[in-house]
Amino acid sequence: MEILVCVKRVPDTSENEIEVGSDGQDIDRDDLVYSVNEWDNYAVEEAIQIVDKVGGKVTVVTVGDDESEEVLRREMAMGANEGILLSDDAFESSDGKGIAAILKAAVEKGSYDLIMTGAQADAGAGQVGGMLAAMLDQPYASLVNSIEVIDDKKLKVGREIEGGNQEMNEIQMPCVLSIQTGINEPRYVGIRGIRKVASVDIPVLGASDLGIDSGSVGNAGASVKVQDYFVPVFGDGAEMLEGSTEEIIDKLIELLKAQGGLK
Amino acid sequence: MAQFIADRRDVDFVLHDQFGVSNLSKHEKFAEFNKKTVDLIVNEARNLAIKEILPTRKIGDEVGVKFENGQITVPEEFKKAWEIYKEGEWLAMPEDLEYGGQGMPRLLSMAANDYFNGANYAFMMYPGLTHGAGKLVEEFGTEKQKKLFLKKMYTGEWTGTMLLTEAEAGSDVGLLTTSAKKNDDGTYSITGAKIFISSGEHDMSDNIIHPVLARIEDAPAGTKGISLFLVPKYRVNDDGSMGEFNDVVCTGIEEKLGIHGNSTCSLTLGGKGECIGTLLGEENKGMRAMFLMMNEARLLVGLQGFSCATSAYLYALNYARERIQGKNLLQMMDKDAPAVPIINHPDVRRMLITMKAYVEGMRSLLYYVAYLDDLIVVSDNDDEKERLHGLIDILIPIAKGYVTDRSFEVCSHAMQVYGGYGYIKEYPVEQLLRDCRITMIYEGTNGIQAMDLLGRKLGMKKGKLVMDLMVEIQKTITKAKGVAGLEEYAAKIEASVNKLGEVAMHLGKTAMSEKVLSAFAFASPFLEAAGDVILSWMLLWRAAAAAPQIEKKPKDASFYKGQVKSLEFFASSVIPISMGKMDAILNTNGAAVDIEDASFGG
Repeated sequence: MEILVCVKRVPDTSENEIEVGSDGQDIDRDDLVYSVNEWDNYAVEEAIQIVDKVGGKVTVVTVGDDESEEVLRREMAMGANEGILLSDDAFESSDGKGIAAILKAAVEKGSYDLIMTGAQADAGAGQVGGMLAAMLDQPYASLVNSIEVIDDKKLKVGREIEGGNQEMNEIQMPCVLSIQTGINEPRYVGIRGIRKVASVDIPVLGASDLGIDSGSVGNAGASVKVQDYFVPVFGDGAEMLEGSTEEIIDKLIELLKAQGGLK
Repeated sequence: MAQFIADRRDVDFVLHDQFGVSNLSKHEKFAEFNKKTVDLIVNEARNLAIKEILPTRKIGDEVGVKFENGQITVPEEFKKAWEIYKEGEWLAMPEDLEYGGQGMPRLLSMAANDYFNGANYAFMMYPGLTHGAGKLVEEFGTEKQKKLFLKKMYTGEWTGTMLLTEAEAGSDVGLLTTSAKKNDDGTYSITGAKIFISSGEHDMSDNIIHPVLARIEDAPAGTKGISLFLVPKYRVNDDGSMGEFNDVVCTGIEEKLGIHGNSTCSLTLGGKGECIGTLLGEENKGMRAMFLMMNEARLLVGLQGFSCATSAYLYALNYARERIQGKNLLQMMDKDAPAVPIINHPDVRRMLITMKAYVEGMRSLLYYVAYLDDLIVVSDNDDEKERLHGLIDILIPIAKGYVTDRSFEVCSHAMQVYGGYGYIKEYPVEQLLRDCRITMIYEGTNGIQAMDLLGRKLGMKKGKLVMDLMVEIQKTITKAKGVAGLEEYAAKIEASVNKLGEVAMHLGKTAMSEKVLSAFAFASPFLEAAGDVILSWMLLWRAAAAAPQIEKKPKDASFYKGQVKSLEFFASSVIPISMGKMDAILNTNGAAVDIEDASFGG
């Protein structure tokens, strides 16, 4: 099975204090330590496990600058077979749709049975997987927390849904899945793996290589633009309802009625 | 920014800006370790340290190791971290590929170990001791011993220890009484009791391999009659499989001030007359073998102490930024002035910059000693190799003695920054302070380190080691004098280096005179003064690498400016005190020696 996993280099939340930059347009990125987006890492682990079982190849791809190459190499040290860096000045400040369009162009240069993304990354929108599937006109499942290969055409996938429940689906390949954390336990990268990929060349593809019109992606093509970043101020007046679920529901209904929310 | 072990920017700075680690990859032996590989390795070491090892630090302290029915269990959480650490093959980073090592530059392995030890050094003592024991097998073992033991040790399948100390043979190891009796098949029957054996017994591996110092029957008394033996917990068959229990029995563990996660065992060897060992190296040459391994072991202890300091500094720094208490001194009279984070208070800043300067200088020094080892590997000139060995020899007592002394002070400053919260278990620095304390004692007390510096290293090769070191320091001073803004500090440090030379001459001469005891009463002050000067050298080196970058890399400007500030602080506020310490040494006052025993009172 040919699997493509889309990954992203993001600030590592385990040891960074994220603060809003003074211009209010972004977080303060000086001195941040970066690593691979956690959700993506689960996706790569899942891809490696699938290939271990049924054979095939795992390719990791990212859209980013030169420094983003390190996350590709890292995921290759973990066990992915190949990496592709999609990098071009024209890609900078792309919105989710722009990123999906760039990834789509890369997908079309290969032949993949399965494409995985993380459920979300640092921007928190969780949109790239779905948009990519729509652009490719492939079936899509989000928040996937289990994958079972039925045959070379079909997968059985579990999706995390409300209330701690799981929804089971069959999905035709090729397809796009966005992966939820907890689907597996990602392996750590050891020195042997790192040494193996130390000198591997990772191909870099730009807008012209991908046949992308520079005006359609990046800042120029973005329909969504950041207006302001801020930390919400603490409000007051919040009331925690306590008791059994029934009691809480009763109190809530009472409150909603009293405030005019329910008639 | 909330980091809790080591400041990543600083680790990268030492590796790349100060020592240029990836230049080592120009040499065939280290060809794989280009910058990308180096960065990936540091990333992954950090990742593993933070996610899997750091969470075991408090558990190791609170749960500790348990001793029941002769068996020791480590906290359950250690086992997962241990498995992942082994799988990643982190145990023998610089060692030969053939024996399960990774052939990595030592400098790079220091960075990885900075994170691992900083995460939980009591845990890291299990692989640390294993590595040391493996080195003994690698250096002195027969082909058969290497074949049977080495790979299993370097991969962590079996762990190792070091059995030196006995109840009556501590710092004076020559008094040991553990005996070895030669058997007809060339093996030895070992009998004796050892104490204070770190990682001596535990449930993280199937077999434990003990290098043991013992005296063969009729061998000379003292250190000249000591031999080294390899004694496994379970005997090992010729095909490498494990055989019978080898009569190595754990009789108890110590209740200690710190490092509760490491088992400090009493072991009885051959209590039933069934403990068999094989000679490691030559008969009666056990101490020589020990000495050859000592530099590495002492450097590791320096790193252990330091790992507490770097972590304590970062905790204190984060706390000082968050803890709001007291008004800004300039607004004291304004009753409406708000309370501010304590990092605004001058005395807190004094403690923070003290910690910062020591932590940075010590990191550079420890990495430098490891780097000298790499330079030996890539050099093809025997004179140069010998010179580099000499530099390591003279720096080891500083890297162990001075670094652990200062590290404990850094932990104490960190506790002070926390105030009352620093003294209670709810916050992490009290554990770091407790864990740190043993590093000043084991692997040769810091008093012994000072005697090693004064009594052995100073006079080695007619003082050539000291001279070579001075030459290296002078190179940095000359370079720094050409860096705008550093001239004044370079001059101060140059004056301290010259004075240290004078002090070394004086103390060396005094040690040869009738005032020899007074000279040795100043061995520790001398170690301290020498350490101050060497630390200032490291800070000067760092500032000289950082200052030209301030304008070039605005993104990192605050880091680089911080390097110059560390130097400014140390050269202006610490080195003058060191000059005073050196005046005291030049006086070599005899009160400590001359005072009558009875006059101590009590």
